Amino acid sequence: MNEQTLKKVLINLPKNAPQAIVNQLFVPDFLTALGFNLMERVPEYNTGDCGTVDYALRHNIDDEDTFLSTQSNPYVLLELKSRDCNLSQGSAQYKSTVEQLKRYLMSSNCKTVQWGIITNSEHIQLFRKHGKVIYPATPCLDITPDNFIEIVKNVRNKIENPPKALTVAIYNNKGGVGKTTTTVNLAAVLTLKGKKVLIIDFDPNQRDLTNSLQIKQGTETLYSYLEDKNNKVQSINVIRPFVIKNKTTGQIYQIDVIPVDEKLAIQHEDKLRQNLSIRRLYQVLKHLKNEYDYILIDSPPNWRFFSQSAVYASDVVLIPTKHNNIFSLENAAIAIKDFIPQVQQERKDGGPIALPIFFNGESITDAGRKTAHKAIQDIIKQGVETQFNLVSYFYPHYTKANPNFHIFVLPSYAHIANAAFSRVPAACKDRTAHNYYLQLAKEYFLQ
Amino acid sequence: MNNLGDVGNLMHLYMHEINPGKGTDSPEFLIAATAKILKESGGRNWVPVIIKETGEDEYEVIGNSFIYAVAEEAGLEKIWCIIADSKDTTVELTQVLCGEVTPKINLSSATRDEIKTALQYLIEKPGTELKSVKLLVATDRIDEAPRQYWKTLEPITKLGCGITKGKKLNALKEVFYLAPQPMPEVSKEPINLKTLTVGELRTIAKKRGITGYSKKKKDELVKLLS
Repeated sequence: MNEQTLKKVLINLPKNAPQAIVNQLFVPDFLTALGFNLMERVPEYNTGDCGTVDYALRHNIDDEDTFLSTQSNPYVLLELKSRDCNLSQGSAQYKSTVEQLKRYLMSSNCKTVQWGIITNSEHIQLFRKHGKVIYPATPCLDITPDNFIEIVKNVRNKIENPPKALTVAIYNNKGGVGKTTTTVNLAAVLTLKGKKVLIIDFDPNQRDLTNSLQIKQGTETLYSYLEDKNNKVQSINVIRPFVIKNKTTGQIYQIDVIPVDEKLAIQHEDKLRQNLSIRRLYQVLKHLKNEYDYILIDSPPNWRFFSQSAVYASDVVLIPTKHNNIFSLENAAIAIKDFIPQVQQERKDGGPIALPIFFNGESITDAGRKTAHKAIQDIIKQGVETQFNLVSYFYPHYTKANPNFHIFVLPSYAHIANAAFSRVPAACKDRTAHNYYLQLAKEYFLQ
Repeated sequence: MNNLGDVGNLMHLYMHEINPGKGTDSPEFLIAATAKILKESGGRNWVPVIIKETGEDEYEVIGNSFIYAVAEEAGLEKIWCIIADSKDTTVELTQVLCGEVTPKINLSSATRDEIKTALQYLIEKPGTELKSVKLLVATDRIDEAPRQYWKTLEPITKLGCGITKGKKLNALKEVFYLAPQPMPEVSKEPINLKTLTVGELRTIAKKRGITGYSKKKKDELVKLLS
């Protein structure tokens, strides 16, 4: 890429350049720098059901296939704004642009898209799309003539090396909301859908996941795997297989599990932190990201080493709550308002983000639903006082024009709770349980 | 608020993640002999190395470089460290606290006692250049000089206390620095200067450390000082 032209373009771009000028002067060199040639860009791409996005991009596979003519299987979408549109993080225009990009990414012609970019040549942000999940892959960055080349290199590098797996931490500061049950059953339905799934038990004090599946320790422990930085410990010696069967077809599937070990449980937290930093799990999982479709981390309640590490390691945080337990709702809000932003500050790549909460495993009466919504509205009100908008985390389908208060509910079902005794995830044994969790997977993850 | 970072923590880190920084000038004997004792006593450096974070899993030694060198000599794979923050002032403070850098005092505003202890330190140091300097004489003359306006240490050589330009003056730089006050504004105005006598003008010139004033006439002195 020609670094000098790129720099020059930025310097020469008028301060309040309208979108057409940005498009004319900035976009061609920018896209070239990202590695997409003229035959690999489609302007005004028809997304199917959401109108047209400014650019769709994909590399051509061979001479026969030019994206410009086939327009099939787009890989990157670019939404362009004018320079006087304020795209700095948190501004109203930023939020509406992100929403716009998300709609494009989810639309019918864009199922194959893996990345979305918003830019006005002053700010830029890259988003990753994994199934139904869209999460930031960079923070919203200020572009200057000096840092632009670095930014482009970073964005290009990410686009060219997409991480295969989505890492999900299942977390709530409150205990007893069904984190482990959710982890195991979600892993089971995703696996039965043909996805490759790794689950990590990162709750050494309870060890529920390891115990409930009766997983035995590998020849190496999770602790030694985390502690080692000289490639002495191989992942294969830490990961254990758990086999499940599709009841109708008889086909056999495997979930990979990293069980937790005693050493992590008995060592005092201060001692652990002398050897392991909060980002260690994140670093270790990086090496496994291309071997799985989903990595699920079962994390403990509280906000200490293990839960911090789990959230730090994740792309998105799934927060189960109980509609009849106000603390689980309040704690969800604390995680979203305080804990996750702390981690974002530390990670500096825009992640992780919280997925909308869901109600887990209790039957809900109309009266109960009302009480829960009242409690949520109070929580949202408190959020407004601290200038944090929580609406989308509790009511993902809510818009001003269409005040939709739907929250996903995973219904109560006796077999789910009882399955813990049989050492097999309920979703593998029971059709109803399977369907419930499949709904959960579809609501959040599967497109 | 944010307790996710490692600043302030004692950590057991891999040596290869730590850049030794500017290293130590300790004699090889001390390093090798200490390394031997360290190995014989269980290989745990109970006195930690002080480091700062320079990147993800990248650190640099800012204090106790000697211990880092010893650990390296002893072939330790991991070393106990305390993570300090990355501010420049922290780095300076740490080096002073570890005794690796001599602290400096501000000669523009130092008290007589501070000057005295600093000079005494220099004079009594082994291999000192200032053997012939009389502590009390030098202290008094420096203390009474208009040092708040000095821009360099140079005027000390004019005080007749045996500190001459070259090695001796340079030795003082180890402990003194200057943060001079600006000259009072009034004495820069030619009108004000003209009201003074030639003798007074010469005194001002001397205070400001200007040379070559002794043979000048009044008009020339005013020009020189304004």
